[in-house]
Amino acid sequence: MATDYWASSHHRRWIVDRHTLNNARAEDLEYATHEQLALLGVFFATVISKLGKRLGLRQRAIATSVVFFRRFYLKNSYCDTDPFLVLTACCYLASKAEETPVHLKTAIVEARSLFTGEDYNLKQFPSDNSKLAEMEFYLLDDLECDLTVYHPYRTLLAMCGKDNPPVPEDDAEAGELGKPQHDGPRYWGTGIGKLDLEEGAIQMAWFVVNDTYRSDLCLLYPPHLIAVASIFFALTLHPSSRSAVDSSLAFSSSHPPSNAGGRASHGQPKRSTVVRTGDELILFLAGLNVSMPLIASIIQEIIAMYSLWNRMSEGRADWAPQSSMQRKGKSNSSPIKQDDLVTPVALTQFVLEMRERKERDVAHPPSAKPTAINKVLERTQAAG
Amino acid sequence: MLPYDPMRAYRHKRDAAHQAFNTKYAMLGFISSGTYGRVYKAKTRDAEERIYAIKKFKPDKEGEVVTYTGISQSAIREIALNREISHENIVALREVVLEDKSIYMVFEYAEHDFLQIIHHFSTTVRAMVPPSLLKSCIHQLLNGLVYLHTCHIQHRDLKPANILINSDGVVKIGDLGLARLTYSPLQPLYSGDKVVVTIWYRAPELLLGARHYTKAIDCWAVGCVMAELISLRPIFKGEEAKLDHKKNVPFQKDQVVKIFEVLGTPSVHEWPGLPQFPEYLNMKALDNYPPKLTEWCTTRFRSKDATDLLRQLFMYNPENRATALEAFNHKWFSEDIKPTRNAFHGLPPNHCPPLRKITQDEASLAHHVPASNNNNPAYNNPNSKPASWKPASGQNFGSAFGVNTAVTMQVPAGNNSGGSRKKPRLE
Ligand SMILES: Nc1ncnc2c1ncn2[C@@H]1O[C@H](COP(=O)(O)OP(=O)(O)O)[C@@H](O)[C@H]1O
Ligand SMILES: [Mg+2]
Repeated sequence: MATDYWASSHHRRWIVDRHTLNNARAEDLEYATHEQLALLGVFFATVISKLGKRLGLRQRAIATSVVFFRRFYLKNSYCDTDPFLVLTACCYLASKAEETPVHLKTAIVEARSLFTGEDYNLKQFPSDNSKLAEMEFYLLDDLECDLTVYHPYRTLLAMCGKDNPPVPEDDAEAGELGKPQHDGPRYWGTGIGKLDLEEGAIQMAWFVVNDTYRSDLCLLYPPHLIAVASIFFALTLHPSSRSAVDSSLAFSSSHPPSNAGGRASHGQPKRSTVVRTGDELILFLAGLNVSMPLIASIIQEIIAMYSLWNRMSEGRADWAPQSSMQRKGKSNSSPIKQDDLVTPVALTQFVLEMRERKERDVAHPPSAKPTAINKVLERTQAAG
Repeated sequence: MLPYDPMRAYRHKRDAAHQAFNTKYAMLGFISSGTYGRVYKAKTRDAEERIYAIKKFKPDKEGEVVTYTGISQSAIREIALNREISHENIVALREVVLEDKSIYMVFEYAEHDFLQIIHHFSTTVRAMVPPSLLKSCIHQLLNGLVYLHTCHIQHRDLKPANILINSDGVVKIGDLGLARLTYSPLQPLYSGDKVVVTIWYRAPELLLGARHYTKAIDCWAVGCVMAELISLRPIFKGEEAKLDHKKNVPFQKDQVVKIFEVLGTPSVHEWPGLPQFPEYLNMKALDNYPPKLTEWCTTRFRSKDATDLLRQLFMYNPENRATALEAFNHKWFSEDIKPTRNAFHGLPPNHCPPLRKITQDEASLAHHVPASNNNNPAYNNPNSKPASWKPASGQNFGSAFGVNTAVTMQVPAGNNSGGSRKKPRLE
């Protein structure tokens, strides 16, 4: 099963469509807009990443924590829960699921100090071990005990013929400690072929993969498609990083350059190898036997995620193409004004208020009007 | 006013939706007490009354109060792996019920296990396991192991008590509590668990202190199990050296000698990596033993092919050792007597092992350890784990960078090498 994604619980039970996702949000949508929920999605992935780093979790364990978190909120609502406690339980459980366990006590102490500190200014967070352990218990149940999560990292490395992550230890997915054991067959594509990218390019795709966890992509698409989209995105989408990527790209293939690659016109090629690069990439991706329209939708989602993320005041991607993304975001989606910047404290406050409003609604159901109408009213108010 | 509880609504919703374990299953009796919990026989409370084995992980206690203390690494592993796999020769997990701080894993029920078969033939039948049963058992065991290894799962605790067989004679590998996914591990296997595999079944590379080990350790254990089914006693029955006060794993001299006595002292020629092992010097200090496996075999059976399979599984160099697949395809299995899907096929009735004994549960007695309740008193404590098997709250908390910080070693009650295990007598 470790190599058989198609037989995995991940594929069989945890890939959902957009419609299911929206239905799952119904309750929260009474207290927040779609966009606000998406912002919270970006936000909590950032929080998980921060906590994960404090706990010494590897990138893959952090990614697993995020997936747990998103799966949990397929069944539950922000307005019924304490997402900070939930995400701490996600990190704690993922640390064990990924065989890099942390102490219960460590998890709660680190979480508490992070959340009640000035970054988030959370007023209340348990200091009691058993509260977190209880949450873990419920979480495991809501996850239906499916703890094995597939990530794009492996596809990315396999596709580039790498054994080890292209980033320094701290950020790496880190299969590097054990002997790499990539002895399984590929579960996607044709199983042949390799992209010969240089470190810089792979690294960039790697960071894009990291960033995809800020969106719902991990619930919507199989990881290998996300990997392909991330490579595509990192290589061809935005012009400024394109030239940076181009200069670090080299393809070993001896195929003569062809004119098939329309994408090549995106960047201003500096060397003849660069032209080949675009073409080769197209050929390679075409040969993967993955659906290009799907890849295109994933890329759309990545763009949308980056433009949302740019509205947040903390933790934005610090890698090169980020600044160009901001420009990209403006031209591609709704205009983003600088004064729209959202702080973590504001988002923390917002999610808290969602819960308080829900609690008030439950405690004092307005007698005359049917709840549904009332909720709609609430929502208009909230939006206004 | 109640203390602030942001999860109240959630908990309420979940508890209301929960279907209580007791409304779904009725416990019929107690089967076995392991390191982490207890195994029960249960039936469904519906018209079908299907039978299951329930592995219940006990909640931890702080004083007298039962609290949530975090789910053990072992339970997490067993649950995570079982949810992904499905094979005729692996015990199937039907569902997991989380309730009242306890975890109930509901497994398909298996009436027998290899330990019980060995015991039955050594004490009741007082004869060797018939070749057809032996061959079917090993063949199906290998079939399950091929599947696990294809899934990149190392079992790491294969031994007779963990290999079950149902009343239809179908072998079911159980107890994935030590098993691990080896596909791009985040931590080297060694730093997670310093000691794996119960000592009698532990491969030489582990005994010599290997940091990197492979699926081949499971194949060694299969060799040990096969030999035990043949001779009705563990082939390498060493005394386990205890962890020292610094919790270092000592050189398992006695176990190594037991292996050398049968297989001879390994040479650098057959195992070039030998001098690199941490325990190489300790090993060099031992006497030189000549190989005696052929002798061991010919005094017990005639099949040359069986001897060859054992030899392949007992290769010192893990790289030369038969893989599960190679062993599964070994010519012994296509020799005159063929393995059967029902391992009990054609057995005289008195050769069939008895039904699993169950006793009434005394779970209410908090510290009751029912050694005498075990269905195999002669094999007291067959479920013990390797000595460093870590208890719920004492996992390896080595940091994510693979540094071993605190490792809580806990030797399970009753000495895990099964010192109290009676030697089956074989005339
Ligand atoms: N599915 C099952 N059907 C019947 N008996 C079982 C089953 N699973 C386990 N047992 C019995 O319980 C014992 C302990 O179970 P095991 O899963 O090995 O737990 P532990 O981790 O405590 O060793 C086994 O040796 C076997 O006798
Ligand atoms: Mg066991």
